[in-house]
Amino acid sequence: MNLFKRAWWRLSGHPGKALMLIGLFFVICTLVLSGFLIQSAAARAAADAKQRVGAVATMQLDINALMESGKMESRGGGATPGLIGTAGDLHRSLVDKICASPVVTQCNYTTESGASPTESARLYQPVPPPAGQDTAGTDFFKADGVRDLNSVGAFRNGDSKIVDGSGIGPRSKADMVVVEERLAKQNKLKVGDRIKLKVGTLPGPGEKRNTSEFEFTIAGIYKSNAGDSGQYVPAIMDPANQIYLTPDGATKLLGKDLGAGGATVKQATFTLNDPADADRLKKDAEAAGADLKIFPLSVNDKQYKTLVGPITKTAGFATVTVWLVAVAGTVILALIVASSLRERRKELGILLSLGEKKPKLLGQHLVEVVACALLAIGLAAAGSQFLSQGIGDRLLASEVSSAKDSAADANSGPDHSAVTGSGGAPQGGSSGSEPEAAPIDKIDVKLGMADIGKVGATGLGIAALATLIPGIRVLRLNPRDILVKGD
Amino acid sequence: MATQPPVLELTGLTRSYPTRNGKRAILKGVAHSFEAGRMYAVVGASGSGKTTLLSLASGLDTPTSGSVRFRGEDIAGFGLGRFRNRHVATVFQSLNLLTYMTAVQNITSAMEITGVKGTHRKRRARELLDLLGIEAQDHDRRTLQLSGGQQQRVAIARALACEVDILCADEPTGSLDHETAADIVEVFRKLAHDQGKCVIVVTHSREVAGASDEILQLKSGRLVPQR
Repeated sequence: MNLFKRAWWRLSGHPGKALMLIGLFFVICTLVLSGFLIQSAAARAAADAKQRVGAVATMQLDINALMESGKMESRGGGATPGLIGTAGDLHRSLVDKICASPVVTQCNYTTESGASPTESARLYQPVPPPAGQDTAGTDFFKADGVRDLNSVGAFRNGDSKIVDGSGIGPRSKADMVVVEERLAKQNKLKVGDRIKLKVGTLPGPGEKRNTSEFEFTIAGIYKSNAGDSGQYVPAIMDPANQIYLTPDGATKLLGKDLGAGGATVKQATFTLNDPADADRLKKDAEAAGADLKIFPLSVNDKQYKTLVGPITKTAGFATVTVWLVAVAGTVILALIVASSLRERRKELGILLSLGEKKPKLLGQHLVEVVACALLAIGLAAAGSQFLSQGIGDRLLASEVSSAKDSAADANSGPDHSAVTGSGGAPQGGSSGSEPEAAPIDKIDVKLGMADIGKVGATGLGIAALATLIPGIRVLRLNPRDILVKGD
Repeated sequence: MATQPPVLELTGLTRSYPTRNGKRAILKGVAHSFEAGRMYAVVGASGSGKTTLLSLASGLDTPTSGSVRFRGEDIAGFGLGRFRNRHVATVFQSLNLLTYMTAVQNITSAMEITGVKGTHRKRRARELLDLLGIEAQDHDRRTLQLSGGQQQRVAIARALACEVDILCADEPTGSLDHETAADIVEVFRKLAHDQGKCVIVVTHSREVAGASDEILQLKSGRLVPQR
């Protein structure tokens, strides 16, 4: 107990030095605690963002992987493979199994197809093609099979909307079709009418064109905001010639049999609660029988990254600050303690001459420094919340601003980062691009016992290191040199 | 009847220090036995090695060769720290008090370090301070606020409080007035004769030397008994 008493007498005997030590510790602990608070606030915000936006995983054929797998088919039974064949078909039954995974909150899939016009459904072409133009390859409807029309980008963002009847949903009958208002008007179609469409694929060299016809029922009529351009546009590229069917209907128009696996799916999207669930989704997909080499699952967490980007950078800065302050604080304190030990050599010599043990001398120093650290930790705990809120807000505002600038720069060029999309379809036959996410621009700093515990451990660790490292010199002290020679 | 070994025995004690021109020997084979219940005065010219001798005798330093034995046992064997802690107390020429403590705290702190038993350390500290002429109002003042003479008396009181077998003092009366110096010499004599302590005093003072039981002169690195 003697060393505790001596430590107290020393601190109360030199209040100026004690205050200086407390002040230094206060600065260190406040900065460290602020760093911890910003880190934990950022972690909370990131967790919230995960819950809010989740991630979208996309599954579609990787043609290169299919080629490498050797599962492509040869044309006309020849030796050289050249056709995608059935191995490249992703079937609805498989996708439905993956959709049943507990990590999937929403799921959609699309089948890209085309349809040749018939008497009951003629192409909309307000400006005829120039004389002599070959339109054989473009005189098609763009027919997309969708599981849920509401998930299509154009409908989700309001560019297109149903004006009569209903859209396509998971429970729609296989022969349902939704047509654009102008097409309906030109063909005098209304909801409930039946139309015929021909298979919309072009024959390969030496093959006969498939002219099979299928009958569909008008489920709904939609209006697209994309108006007529007043110039000639190839039919397949005219927005009015975009029709939506079920995946089964679109598969028929590809000239394929539905078979046991159901519709052939071009692309499937799975919405996840948490980007971290992607691994679980992959496992579930493999368990369902998917070959993830040929049909890879790519996760698009761009929205999540946009949301948490600035706050993550702020947290990263806070982490660097914590380390810098902790290291710099330890060094500064070690120098102060080393200087103090030099100043107190005579005191140490006196105590040694009385037979005090060297570890106890170090212990007295440690008690003094720890006492100052504890007081400073208490003060830092009282003041850090306000300080870290202020620091966090400023840092985050700066990061958000630079993130917005970067986004603006990126938008001026092509975006190669998005992996979802319609594969080039002008109206988005799939889920379309994700809605824009604004980065998190508020940080909610909350002081908890865990944070105080962490800063306490850090502060006491710094105190121990800063005392014990220079304290090694105490172990080499010779009382006679100190007391007699004053050395 | 077996004879008791001397409380402190110096045998062939040498101490040299490195200098630019090689080693300089301060002590050259000092040998002497110190008995309990006696007061010794070590005299000699300045630079003769008196303080070095006292440092070796009090376990603050280690000899170049030779040995210091306490009750027949080499103090290097059981540890200089332990020897200082249990068996010897030293009063230095310079005023070696802890300046952030009061006079009483200096004494009680030393008593705790040296393991002096008893729950009345403060009372004992005040008794010793009274004995050495420190007025009660000064007992609880920080030592920096005391005069040089008062500080020296506090240092002596601290050494007395440690209840050790040997008391070493380096010019203990150097900064005291004649009357107080005489009082302190009397305290040393009583410690030796009444309490059976061995008191070794390094001094230039004729009065202190005259009051001691044996005078030893340090000359040419050797200890020569004078009386």
